[in-house]
Amino acid sequence: MSAAVAVGIDAGSTTCKAVAVDAGGAIIARRLAAADPRIEAQTERMLAELAAEVGAGLPVGATGYGRKRVRAARTLTEITCHARGAYAHMRGAGLLIDMGGQDTKVIRIGPAGDVVDFAMNDKCAAGTGRFLEVILGRLHVPLAEVAERVARAESAVPVSSTCTVFAESEVISLVAEGQPLEGIVKGLHQSLASRVGALARAGAIDVDVFMSGGVALNAAMVAALQEAMGRPVKVLPDPQLVGALGAALSVRPA
Amino acid sequence: MRTQYIARQREAHGRKAVAVLPVHYPKEILTALDLLAVELWGPPGAPRGEAAGRLQTYVCSLVRNALAFLAAGKADAVEGVLFPHTCDSIQGLATLATDFGGWGKRAFVFQHPRGPPRPSSRAFVEAEMRSLAAELEPFAGRALEPARLAAAIRLHREVDEARAALLDGRARLPMDDVALYALLRRGEWLWPGDHLAELRAARATLREGPVQPGVPLLVTGYVPEPAGLLQTLGAAGAYVAGDDYAAVGRRVVRGGPERPGDPWAELVERYWAAPPCSTRSADQGQRMRYLSGLLERSGARGVVVHVLKFCEPELFDVPAIRAAFAAKGVPLLYLEGELEAELAGQTVTRIEAFVEMLGTAGRAA
Amino acid sequence: MILRRLQYEMAGRVVGPVVLALEEWQRRQRRRGKKPKESPLGPPLECTRKLKELMSLHYLQGRYADGAVPVAWVTSGFPVEILRPLGFHVVYPENHAAMCGVVRMVTRLSDAVEKEGYSRDLCSYARTDLGSVATGETPAGRLPRPDLLACCTNICQTVLYWYRALAERLKVPLVLVDTPFVYGESKPHHLAYVRDQLAELVEAAERVAGRKVDPAELSEATRLAKEGTRLWAACLATGKHRPAPWTGIDGFFHMAPIVALRGTEECNAYYRILRDELEDRARRGIGGIREERHRLLWDNLPIWFATREISTLLAERGFNFVCTSYTNAWAEAGMRTDPADPIGSAAVAYTHIILNQDLRNRMGILSRLAREYQADGAVLHSDRSCKPYSIGQVDLKERLARELGIRVLLLEADHNDPRAYASEQGENRLTAFMESFG
Repeated sequence: MSAAVAVGIDAGSTTCKAVAVDAGGAIIARRLAAADPRIEAQTERMLAELAAEVGAGLPVGATGYGRKRVRAARTLTEITCHARGAYAHMRGAGLLIDMGGQDTKVIRIGPAGDVVDFAMNDKCAAGTGRFLEVILGRLHVPLAEVAERVARAESAVPVSSTCTVFAESEVISLVAEGQPLEGIVKGLHQSLASRVGALARAGAIDVDVFMSGGVALNAAMVAALQEAMGRPVKVLPDPQLVGALGAALSVRPA
Repeated sequence: MRTQYIARQREAHGRKAVAVLPVHYPKEILTALDLLAVELWGPPGAPRGEAAGRLQTYVCSLVRNALAFLAAGKADAVEGVLFPHTCDSIQGLATLATDFGGWGKRAFVFQHPRGPPRPSSRAFVEAEMRSLAAELEPFAGRALEPARLAAAIRLHREVDEARAALLDGRARLPMDDVALYALLRRGEWLWPGDHLAELRAARATLREGPVQPGVPLLVTGYVPEPAGLLQTLGAAGAYVAGDDYAAVGRRVVRGGPERPGDPWAELVERYWAAPPCSTRSADQGQRMRYLSGLLERSGARGVVVHVLKFCEPELFDVPAIRAAFAAKGVPLLYLEGELEAELAGQTVTRIEAFVEMLGTAGRAA
Repeated sequence: MILRRLQYEMAGRVVGPVVLALEEWQRRQRRRGKKPKESPLGPPLECTRKLKELMSLHYLQGRYADGAVPVAWVTSGFPVEILRPLGFHVVYPENHAAMCGVVRMVTRLSDAVEKEGYSRDLCSYARTDLGSVATGETPAGRLPRPDLLACCTNICQTVLYWYRALAERLKVPLVLVDTPFVYGESKPHHLAYVRDQLAELVEAAERVAGRKVDPAELSEATRLAKEGTRLWAACLATGKHRPAPWTGIDGFFHMAPIVALRGTEECNAYYRILRDELEDRARRGIGGIREERHRLLWDNLPIWFATREISTLLAERGFNFVCTSYTNAWAEAGMRTDPADPIGSAAVAYTHIILNQDLRNRMGILSRLAREYQADGAVLHSDRSCKPYSIGQVDLKERLARELGIRVLLLEADHNDPRAYASEQGENRLTAFMESFG
């Protein structure tokens, strides 16, 4: 294993991620855990664990909701870090859609890897992974089964509510009416995808589209997003670690 | 409220205080009648008190908070309220508070004409100003002689000139945004003469060359609140180089020759000469041209659109603003606020990300 | 001309979606999946068919209007009588937007302009209309392009921003009649301002139409509008009977002519027929709902995309809206016009419509309606994207309840955007409200 040169930590609101990278920018060590509200303690622990694995005294870049609580050489927003982490896997300009637990970002990345424009979802859960989590939880559909179930659906049952709480009520009514569960789950994904598509101003895209974040692990969501965007969506490798990677790359010695 | 200052103005100068709702109103008339205007901007945060629930949550927070404030008696230090009719929400507030409870003392209304200036609206504005003056005279306990009006106009002209000097010379002013806006906004309740003295003191600190190190931004919006916004901009390494806040830059009337002998004509001229504002239904083309000019003069590298949620006049101009700056390739950040007491974490992130983006513009990651 | 006649027949099919919506509502459609059961609504009005024809013809004419006659798009509170003598074909974007709401096109249309940056918090009529112009989609076949945009701020300030956006998009002149809001009483210089603007309007309209206003024709248009207002008021007044011969929702639909065709003989002829049928039903004790147990007042705009559901929900429990402040507005505005002084009287009449006067006046109208129509409850629609109509409702609710001793519900929804209405919760609230009557 090549030597680590930098560490990046993404202290998100749902999960905390940390990576160590080598001089080539490859991830050589990683940690991921559910976010502990005691951010400082958790990030200290994670950094210590990485240090034990790859060596201490490395420069640390921090990003994410809790970034200001991390002892880091550099602190940058998730926008900048996700762009950098994504660009490492891109060949030129592109659009990145990052869907996390409580947050959805769309970042337009320029040919040289710079952030050209960005948009974030409104201060509301309905455009984020939380939307799916809440309702699928209510329907007792485990995340592992989602992709398969959606694939089986004949057609999507539309879910129109724009609020997670109201959508939950709506879905319960649909189930009570006897609407097929697979169709409802598909409808939920379409609803979320269409909101994200609107955020991305889908239709005005002429570059490759990439996806990162925990929600990218849900194949049904990737499929729904492709439909909403009207073009292929490529899931980045290690989609949940893109921000931490970008943070590490930001402090990598030149 | 600035109760002590208001009380002192009353005792020492015999000046009655009138609370005024935002944004535009013929302040010169109040000054000429020795009335102290005290603007009512909130306060920030969710509305408190019994009246908090009397306005639905989809009404802008400025109006919701104002009703709660008035109804809780927090404005009792003043003796009258002036409602400039600028939008449907203030329109409703003016009757709700006075007819259904919340404000029991004198209430005055100033009707702004809508649409582009035309013969009918020019005639109307003067008639409306005279009508307001006629109502205020018995309230103030003095007549509005032309000489007093002329003197008031001169004073306000000087205030505007000083403000313009500070705003136009922003890059050369060794003050951070928080301090500058605190100073400018004191004009919302100080007697204009007192405000002028403070402005002049700040003006004396203007340097020869630029002293602001940060990324220059053009900010357009309703009011620079919460103050946290300015703090965040500063901490992120940016400053407001071009100001198009309705509460600040859009009220600064620039230039125009003095016209001795006809203060009413001059007052009307000043009314129409103010920078274009959505709340006075300015022509959109004119407004976009004005913003373009401001961008150039200020050297701003990006635009922040800081909209007050549910504010129709502002919201209707957003597509044109987006299109105008997109056509010029100028990066734009859209923020929607609710006069919250503290900035949301997400808003802080957006601002920081925007400044990061501008800071590395043209350079590779 | 023959070609136009042929196109007329074809166009009938294009206007179909609207016709279908009205037919569906008229047939008192059953809910999907449920067994057909007897409708709680009374026998449908015979003349609804004529209403459909009248409005279809209006929209059909519109298809071929541009190029043939001057076309104006106007706000609902605009003194349209002044345009009649100049032969304008008049289109009401609000009326058209409501139609889009009924046939459930709003989400798509609004999305189109939200992409440009228009906030979803803005008036749903404006978003619908701008979306229709942006996409070219309309359930009315084709709207004629305007030669003139005519806007009056007596209903709200938003119309000016909306029409300004239209003027920008369509590159046509906009005339504005700005009516200062009435706090207490309107001042002489306010009315003078409105009169001056009406004169400016005449000049601008004459330029577009390429002819001068004939004073006699203007008087006649004013007389027709006033007569139409009187006839509409007579139709509404039949609601005072027990049972009311039609439903509040019927009223919302039958309001179209007084808004869109005011000042024409066609409008008045229609209301004579409607009035006669309503008075006949009243005499024979035929109600708008089969079993009227409670009478309600409705305040604010309708919830266009849920009219059928709400009407049925209420009718099933014997509740009917016997009066509404919205339909009543068009029974009052025209009454102050005077054929002998069309401009001067229009300035007064159009300045004093309900939405341009203070809350004291509003309260007076609501309590008078509730008393005259013997309402024992009220529903105030708290319309998310209509501030001028919704501000003050919390207080109005309490005052109505206190002064009239009736039950009042504040119902949160929107006039045209279904995304702003949680139908489960809304229907739950209405049901609980009705249960509270015992």
